[in-house]
Amino acid sequence: MRQRSVIGLAALAMVMALLAGCSGGEKNHAEAPSDKGKVRTELTYAAAKDINDMNPHLYTGSMPAQGMVYESLVENTPDGIKPLLAESWDISEDGKTYTFHLRQGVTFHDGEPFDAEAAVKNIEAVQSNAAKHSWIQLSTKIADVEATDEHTVRLTLTEPYYPTLLELAMTRPYVFLSPRDFVDGGTKDGVKGYHGTGPYKLAEHQTDRYAVFEANESYWGGAPKIAKVTAKVLPAGETTFLALQKGEVDFLFTDDRGTDSIDVEAMRRLEDSGDYRIVRSDPMNTKMIVANSGKQGSPAQETAVREALWQSIDRETIGKQIMSGTETPAETLFSTNVNYADIGLKPRDFDLDQAEKKLEDAGWKPSGGDGIRAKDGTPLVLKLYYDANSASQKTEAEFIQSTARQIGMKLELVGEESSSIASRRSSGDYDLLFNQTWGLAYDPQSTIAAFASESSYYHATSGIASAAELYRKIDEVTASANEETRKVLYKDILTIVHDEAIFIPLTNGSVTVVAPSDLQGVSFKQTQFELPFEKMYFE
Amino acid sequence: MGAYIVRRALIAIPLLAMISFAAFVFQHLSPLDPAEVVLHSQGVPKITDELIAETRAELGMDRPFLIRYLDWLVSCLQLDFGKSYVANQPVWSLLGPALLNTLKLTLVSVAAILALSVALGVACALKAGRWLDKSIRGLSFVLTSAPSYWLAALMVWYFSVKLDLLPTSGMDSARSYVLPVAVIAIGYAGIYFRVIRSSMLGNLNEDYVLYGRACGLPESTLVRRVLKNSLQVAISIFGMAIPTILGSTVVVENLFAWPGLGTLSVRSVLSRDFPVIQAYVLVLAAAFVLFNAVSDIASAAVNPKLRNDL
Repeated sequence: MRQRSVIGLAALAMVMALLAGCSGGEKNHAEAPSDKGKVRTELTYAAAKDINDMNPHLYTGSMPAQGMVYESLVENTPDGIKPLLAESWDISEDGKTYTFHLRQGVTFHDGEPFDAEAAVKNIEAVQSNAAKHSWIQLSTKIADVEATDEHTVRLTLTEPYYPTLLELAMTRPYVFLSPRDFVDGGTKDGVKGYHGTGPYKLAEHQTDRYAVFEANESYWGGAPKIAKVTAKVLPAGETTFLALQKGEVDFLFTDDRGTDSIDVEAMRRLEDSGDYRIVRSDPMNTKMIVANSGKQGSPAQETAVREALWQSIDRETIGKQIMSGTETPAETLFSTNVNYADIGLKPRDFDLDQAEKKLEDAGWKPSGGDGIRAKDGTPLVLKLYYDANSASQKTEAEFIQSTARQIGMKLELVGEESSSIASRRSSGDYDLLFNQTWGLAYDPQSTIAAFASESSYYHATSGIASAAELYRKIDEVTASANEETRKVLYKDILTIVHDEAIFIPLTNGSVTVVAPSDLQGVSFKQTQFELPFEKMYFE
Repeated sequence: MGAYIVRRALIAIPLLAMISFAAFVFQHLSPLDPAEVVLHSQGVPKITDELIAETRAELGMDRPFLIRYLDWLVSCLQLDFGKSYVANQPVWSLLGPALLNTLKLTLVSVAAILALSVALGVACALKAGRWLDKSIRGLSFVLTSAPSYWLAALMVWYFSVKLDLLPTSGMDSARSYVLPVAVIAIGYAGIYFRVIRSSMLGNLNEDYVLYGRACGLPESTLVRRVLKNSLQVAISIFGMAIPTILGSTVVVENLFAWPGLGTLSVRSVLSRDFPVIQAYVLVLAAAFVLFNAVSDIASAAVNPKLRNDL
């Protein structure tokens, strides 16, 4: 009896403590997928990370979130550049002056008018911090920007630059924030608010918990039908899957690192439940292994080793088995639907015998009992780094490891966080790592510019014989005003890196969306980084 | 006793100074240029030498190391930990709420651990060697050795998805506490109740218990006495449980999407947001030192023999 009262007291204390420590306020964001009757107007998506600082002129914010709130002058579509905040534009004959005629009657979320003056202030704010935007070459070529009347903006360049409109169409930095949010007349030291012109406005943000986006009722393109989009932070894929099953979140898409937080099998189970459907975009990018030709003492310095690895990878099986048919094998760095990339490069087929022969010819002979080849005492061992948070990369890596083993090449697999992999990429401390191209809207120019960039693929490309020629051509290509010259230069560049087998393609990646089965209008943009929520609606 | 408290507090100062130095110095152990690290963490797509030089000047990284350390230390003492590289806002505005959230989780968990440990410890001690004792110990052995992420996933699946009783994750209501607290409490209580059980058993064999029984004291009074004496042993263990849980909720916070210190620290480490990491290390170290001192002082208050140990 007495012991029971001790236990009872302890249980009571526990319950009291539970209640005392809790804050009130019930909040259930997503409606259950099984709710019937009324038309639903809310979506809750799971995101591994917080939306972070939404300043559109810097790079820490979540791109899908920024894509909902901010807009650019023009838009990149499958049919080329289309009007967005600019209704039309004229390009001078010398290619140096762009005159934009702005859409009238557009306001920022805080009620400020979007006019030529606001546009100029934004572009000037970006230019005043130009060093941070040097990846986008337009930032180094803007000589002047001025408002010629209330709705006309004239952009003057120092020299003709053909990707100007493409770069103005990107999610950042050339998008527009209400000048009332500026601090000290600019944006580089932070901003006071996040008022764009886009279809959604940021209504609430609880760091590391959730962010709520509400439909912009006065959106110039018409108010979106989905009235509320919530981004819920769910760092663990296991929880994301369970929360989707329960309906606490009801939307999921491939994140901006190209990683899905749940695997193909989990997606299939959600689809089988009848509550969800899976929508995949066309190929957007190429997933690849980058070989570091510039790493001293690494077998990856040798073209023969890189080629042998290329030929030892069974892409068909990766696409069919590991990715369950959701991705197609990639034979070249860029698929042929990428601009300037349809140049008839010769694919290297999966062929273990030829791969072995390449190694044999290059002097890599089997040594010791384990069958690992060696040359001049150096064993054929390479470290392959993969993103530990990716649901598929580890399996791919293990599969590649097993076939490489058959040609006497040993791959040591190391799983790391995506940010560690990024810093390895810039410090050059790797033999092989998983990566992906920038994606349709950015390619080939952005990925190619990255070949020569210290913080990207400079180390990977620096060890090849024709490195100097490669970098010179990369410099030339964006400056050339002539379409024919550009074609030739791009062809040369792509041929060099293909022949040297630095970027070993695996599969063509796409954006995958897990959406409630009755959600209509799920479509994609030209970039893998954002989704047009404004086009979605429930039946 | 007063002298003891002063002495105990003084020891904490050099300890904290050493920790602060360690927290500051490790940013400079990275093979990358600190300014470059900052730019990486800000997601700048292309980093040029010019930009690195600019950033270095902007953050005052061109000043001598010791000056920067002292500068930082002085501002830390005023709770100004600088500005996050990534979030572009004061570190304290990130760390403060995260600390509070984790503290809530920790305190509720410690209360649950205390309640569970005492209840189970007493029950097992009184029924030592019987089936109740054996089955509780057996079950706790199984639960404690289960990895917490596995246990957590299982519990979410069962209680949240299958039975639809509790939210899977988040920090939205009182019900959000149940699962994460249960996962933490199961892990710790499984260890702590054994401490209480064995110290209860030790005490139950003491002469004063025999004497009390002989005098005809009611059993409930005896149990209370024995429990009080046994808890003294547990004070220091429970005192340290608070900072330990504060610093080790990473797995649970990650799984339950709890916006606390664990989530913040992992995120900051991954994005190399050094001002946040340094502040985190400092705050957590301070918590350890503080709770250690408090539990030492509490033990000394209970047991005068300990006061001369310093």
